Amino acid sequence: MRRAIMIGVIFMAFVLLTGCWDRRETNDLAIITGVALDKNKEGQIELTAEIHSPGGSGNGSGGGEDNNQGGVQSTVLQIGKGSSIPEAIENLNEKLPREILWSHAEAIVISKAFAENGISDELDFFVRHPEPRLRSYVFISDGKAKENMALRPSLERSVSEALIKLAESEVLMKATLFDLMEMLKGEQGAIVLPMIDKLSPEEGQLPSESIAYIHRSAVLKQGKMIGVINDQISRGVLWFRNEINESIVTVEPDEADEIISMNLIKGRTDLVPEIDGQSLKMTVKIVTIDDVIQNQTSWDLKRLDKLKALENELVQKIEKRLTDTLDTVQKEMKIDIIGFGEEFRRHHPKKWKNIKGDWDEKFPTVQVDFDIDARVLRAGKGSET
Amino acid sequence: MIEKGKISALQMGLLMYHAILATGILFIPATVFNVAKQDIWISPILASPLGFLSVYIAYKLNKYYPKDTIMQYSKHILGTFWGKMLGLLLLLLLITSLSVMFWQYGEYVVSEFLPHTPKSVIIGMMVILCAFAVHGGLEVLGRLAGMVFPVFFLLFLVIIILVLPDVEVKRMLPVMENGLMPSLKGAWVLCTWFAQFGIIYFFLPFLTDREKGLKFGMLSVLVVTLTLVVTNIIVIWLFGNVTENFNAPFMSASRYISLAEFLSHLESIVMAIWIAGTFIKLCVFYYVVVIGTAEWLNLSDYRSLVLPMGFLIGVFAMQAFLNSAEAAEHFRIVSHEIMDTLVYGLLIPIFLFLGAYIRKTIFKHKVRRTN
Repeated sequence: MRRAIMIGVIFMAFVLLTGCWDRRETNDLAIITGVALDKNKEGQIELTAEIHSPGGSGNGSGGGEDNNQGGVQSTVLQIGKGSSIPEAIENLNEKLPREILWSHAEAIVISKAFAENGISDELDFFVRHPEPRLRSYVFISDGKAKENMALRPSLERSVSEALIKLAESEVLMKATLFDLMEMLKGEQGAIVLPMIDKLSPEEGQLPSESIAYIHRSAVLKQGKMIGVINDQISRGVLWFRNEINESIVTVEPDEADEIISMNLIKGRTDLVPEIDGQSLKMTVKIVTIDDVIQNQTSWDLKRLDKLKALENELVQKIEKRLTDTLDTVQKEMKIDIIGFGEEFRRHHPKKWKNIKGDWDEKFPTVQVDFDIDARVLRAGKGSET
Repeated sequence: MIEKGKISALQMGLLMYHAILATGILFIPATVFNVAKQDIWISPILASPLGFLSVYIAYKLNKYYPKDTIMQYSKHILGTFWGKMLGLLLLLLLITSLSVMFWQYGEYVVSEFLPHTPKSVIIGMMVILCAFAVHGGLEVLGRLAGMVFPVFFLLFLVIIILVLPDVEVKRMLPVMENGLMPSLKGAWVLCTWFAQFGIIYFFLPFLTDREKGLKFGMLSVLVVTLTLVVTNIIVIWLFGNVTENFNAPFMSASRYISLAEFLSHLESIVMAIWIAGTFIKLCVFYYVVVIGTAEWLNLSDYRSLVLPMGFLIGVFAMQAFLNSAEAAEHFRIVSHEIMDTLVYGLLIPIFLFLGAYIRKTIFKHKVRRTN
């Protein structure tokens, strides 16, 4: 009897442990690799999903414009429409024979028109749903987001993969879903997101063979897009936010007319806020290490005095770039995307409470000092010309 | 004595560690963050004295009545009738508490991992599993805790280490932005967890090395506090202000891990930790309910109660709340206004301790007079 029960229990385990209610077979899944969000003329949300196509033979896409040119195509596009993201997904589901898997959707492209109407409410979906990942990269697209998804990059298998690689290369701005949430939750709700543009196709190329690339940044306030900054200013913003990783700095010393280019090895920024009565002061401390990669001048960089002069040039160059950034961000746009408010809050929590309310007025009045320490470690292999 | 088995003080400490921490590690950071913001790591430190006090009171009571559990000495202290009434109150509190824990377990698994699986299956299987373990007796539970703890701790460390590349220390600044009050409020929330240490009074009589009971009880509180502090610090370093967006920040942290592009989606590790820990926790409370009932009814063996009690609790857990709003209402009233854990973990023991103290001193007077 006892043995019979035991055997019964073991067999029950076989049946129950399979987890039949929640099984998900790979060949029943539509793996979403990227999402593009648009708003159409009727104000509906258009969600374009880039779906991984097994076997690379999926040229039977329904809604996507694809003309199967860039080699074997490994993704298909499908569009869902609705008044909210879940509704758009429902609509998308109707058109897909498979169950949607979100956990690999690592690129989210939002169109400019969409972003101008505000993104915070729609983001809620990506945060609440257990599948999308916090590490997904978020982009703003200049034109229609779905047009970017329809591109066929030649190097990568899909647009989203190309976008992810772009973001990871850290040349310009990158922002993950988590960064976006953190910026939204921040004191000012000021957000910068990388902005992608379509490169106009070279002669002889098909329009869809062009690529999307990041070269500007979109500035959002309280979830609504309010402006755009160019790549130089974006790099300046990266300096302030201590996120600079890859950069080429080119200086043109006054005595020499030619240029010297340097590769940034390391850059570190510390913001030191000071509050003195009513006046606010921010000291920007920067330590940077660079290597020379090109020297067109007649300077012999093996000489110490020239190297010192070069370091000075570098300091001035960085300071110039940061001042330009400040002019745009602080004086023109008057939006704290460089994290000054957070620093004041972290260092002077008590006094911050008094200035927090009218930070928008206070921010443009913050006086900024620079303390830049630039070191050129290697002068490169080439000898002087 | 109804329980024939014995466990070591270390095993008791491990049992208590899981009993307190298993659910806490997932839900504490978010719950405390609502009030304490970036100071959540201070709250466990402020709340820990309550845990130490609960253990100490239970130990003192055990000193007075070394061979009895609370069900028996409440009769000695208050007389049969009031002792039984107090025991009934205690059992009712524990049974509701246990049912809610089973519900919580089922709810979390369903909402996060197996949305299409009926909750009754998930809860039912856990009840059956726990029933087997509890039927095996206290020694089995002690061994289980000893087995689960190293795995639990190791995986916990693995997660912490893998999260480290993404942390940013400055997210925890400014420390005490609004003074000590927010972290104190957080500590008040945590009290409901720490007060559960009181149920140690069910285990102290069954120790092989009783003199070490206090030491390992205290150690258990200490390790729980440390684990919570570490968890909270990691969560705040990683998520900062965004912590409040997650129900279970530690789980989200494991999701966030991505090393060299291939080591990612590690939430199954946390799930494994959590299920193992919760299993021990549920077993501990299940055992406490069963042995408490058996003693309350003066039965000669508690094993016959395991299955019926399991059915009762399983049904309770499945029918507990219709939706998450009802659950939230329940937690607001029972955990934060009535503070049920504080009642059974600390207030009842303190009350009994005072009774015992008075009784023993009066009794001593009598003894002296007769001499």
